[in-house]
Amino acid sequence: MDFQEPIIEIKDLSMDYGGKVVLNNINLKVGKGEIIGYIGPNGAGKSTTVKIMLGLVNRYGGQVRILGKDISDGNVEYKRKIGYVPEVAEIYDNLSAKEYLTFVGELYGLGEEEIDNKAKKLMRMFEIGEVYNSRMTSYSKGMRQKVLIISSLLHNPDILFFDEPLSGLDANSVIVVKEILKQLALQGKTIFYSSHIMEVVEKISNRIVLIKNGRIVADGTFEQLKEKSKEGSLEEIFNNLTGFNNHKEIAEQFVAVVQGGQ
Amino acid sequence: MKDFIALKLLDRFKGIFKKMGIDYHVMRRIVQIKLTMDGRRVPTIMNSSSKRKKNEENKDKNLFKTSLLIYFFIGIVFLPFILMGKNYIFQMSFVFGILIFLLMTTLISDFSSVFLDIRDKNIIFSKPVKNITLSGAKFIHILIYMISITFSLSALGLIASLIRHGVLFFLIFLIEIIFIDIFVVVLSALIYLFILRFFDGEKLKDIINYVQIILTITITVGYQFIGRIFNIVGYNVVYVPKWWQYFIIPMWFSAPFELINNGSTKIYFVILTALAIVIPIIAIIIYIKLLPTFEKNLQKLNNNYSQNKNQNYKFTNGISNLICSTKVEKTFFRFCLDMMKNERNFKLKVYPSLGFSIVLPFIFLFSYIRDEGFSTMASSKLYFTIYFCALMLPSVIMMIKYSEKYKGAWIYKVAPLAETSDIYKGTFKALIVKLILPIYFLECMIFIAIFGIRIIPDLILIFLIMLIYVVVCFSLFKKALPFSEAYGTGGQGEGMIIIPMMIILGVMALIHFFVTTIQYGVFIYIIIALLVNIFAWKKAFKIVL
Repeated sequence: MDFQEPIIEIKDLSMDYGGKVVLNNINLKVGKGEIIGYIGPNGAGKSTTVKIMLGLVNRYGGQVRILGKDISDGNVEYKRKIGYVPEVAEIYDNLSAKEYLTFVGELYGLGEEEIDNKAKKLMRMFEIGEVYNSRMTSYSKGMRQKVLIISSLLHNPDILFFDEPLSGLDANSVIVVKEILKQLALQGKTIFYSSHIMEVVEKISNRIVLIKNGRIVADGTFEQLKEKSKEGSLEEIFNNLTGFNNHKEIAEQFVAVVQGGQ
Repeated sequence: MKDFIALKLLDRFKGIFKKMGIDYHVMRRIVQIKLTMDGRRVPTIMNSSSKRKKNEENKDKNLFKTSLLIYFFIGIVFLPFILMGKNYIFQMSFVFGILIFLLMTTLISDFSSVFLDIRDKNIIFSKPVKNITLSGAKFIHILIYMISITFSLSALGLIASLIRHGVLFFLIFLIEIIFIDIFVVVLSALIYLFILRFFDGEKLKDIINYVQIILTITITVGYQFIGRIFNIVGYNVVYVPKWWQYFIIPMWFSAPFELINNGSTKIYFVILTALAIVIPIIAIIIYIKLLPTFEKNLQKLNNNYSQNKNQNYKFTNGISNLICSTKVEKTFFRFCLDMMKNERNFKLKVYPSLGFSIVLPFIFLFSYIRDEGFSTMASSKLYFTIYFCALMLPSVIMMIKYSEKYKGAWIYKVAPLAETSDIYKGTFKALIVKLILPIYFLECMIFIAIFGIRIIPDLILIFLIMLIYVVVCFSLFKKALPFSEAYGTGGQGEGMIIIPMMIILGVMALIHFFVTTIQYGVFIYIIIALLVNIFAWKKAFKIVL
């Protein structure tokens, strides 16, 4: 590998929830400036991996090192370098964007004025500057998502965990955010991107990691995966690798049931 | 954002928090955010934007202040105990006993949500915030509320103690109150810890529900007995120490008064006083030590794997077939039962009033027995107190239109339903079967045991009148489909309507009372009530969607 030290290093990561195995021996090294497309079927363990890396879930087996440090020692300093957009947009929505963003910024140890300036500018660029001082209860899903993206970037982190960051955004904003991700990666930031929308993952990631039932089943560039599975698009590769090839029959049966047949 | 006075006070203790390893600045910020959000609990989604402007101005005044006023008046309870005499160990034990009970129960029923909030986790722990900082913030957040409640509660008592027993007494009282506050918060946290250790989150939420019910019942019944305690305690009881008294927490806190104000140097007062100081400190240390375990166990709240047990659909189906006439009605009967079972907020708001309706009919019986004896009561018309059972109806019917998941109500508009009769009929029938019938049946059994089978026709009549009352309540309240509005949006204005509702019930009961003096009057009334019911249930619920 051509990088000095991996930014993220996961060794034999295992996790189970009450007897149900969620992660099974995940091994992964991520270097600086990589955009990892982290994909897998529902319930494969994507969000759990991300949550473990953020310290939101403990009691896992194996080792997780971020920026060279084991995260299980209770020291939370490494989180200063991480930006996170969660899959479920939990947000204190009875605050205004200004109040929320300054709060989050201060949790990262930034000064109030600095955050306010930055947040105001970023909000304006996302074309939601005029609601900066309104409560977020009145926001649409897309607007909240934009606030979440801003809140994950305020402190200029080195690692980004984006879990379905584009959900609810309109087509124009999607283009903007995709471009932002690319440029951030060029600046040397590491991006961990989970999504179900294969077209986007295919386009923006320079490395794709596919997990299924808590195991990594593929890891490589899009080209490598294409070669390996002899399929044209990531969507097809995904179907192939997850052993899913009966979509036609399922659809036929589904429609039949809808229409009242057997 | 507002800077709160409480936080400015807190700044003085900065050093202590820092010593504990808490990032004070971050903790202060979290508490500030929480307090700001509490002030905005009333959601503004339903209002038009012009209205919202106005709302935002007076939003920061929350309902909490009103409840402080209520606590202030509850505080009257303490006055007799404080003014009584100089038998401090007795008097103050009662004061602290009541205080600790009230604080503990309000804490568990109203502020559990703060302790157990796991939304925090994803928002705050993904940032570089230490476990102990967030726990500290939660603790302070709750403590601020508890201290304001405590001071409202004990304001009258404090003033009285200053006038009656002097400055020294007042100061000890004041310091102990703060001590008790911290102790109570720590103690409840430890209780949660214990429960979460062995049970899952669902069980804990159930327990919180039960605490609410117990709280309302105890307060109602307790008030009846305060007068009697007075007679028992008397003025000149001599204190005799017993070993078990070392386990009575309120006694620890009342011992210092004997020690300092009465100048007693008895060894057992010294021990009790020591307990009052040492045990809370030990509790705090244990709490801090166990914090990491607590946060870990909190994760259990996330695992809502609780699958609905394979429920007995046959039974509900049987009932719905029996009492519902159309398919839509049956659907909503079942829907309402399912929703009530899972809607925690509904339980939280309604169960206390169920508690009332269980207890109230008997309260009057007790005081009658005390004054007149049992045998005169059994032949009297005191069974009319069972009408109090119907008092739960207005609040139940009022609450059924609210839901945490009110946004799901779009389904009503999308579904091909032309009018609402069947929706409401199904819903109210479910309410009656699930909540009202069991309680009423239980009370009837007890009343029949007391008053004899002669009252059975009356009980049937009362049930029919309650059914009419359901329709009356419905017609007078603001109408909305079941589970279709957010909590807190309406509510406030509707509270007052309960009073005219009670008068209407009173009038119906009064007619019943006069009718009993006429021969066959009750039977005639039953027939009339039956006819009214058939008519009302047919007509009243028809609203075009």
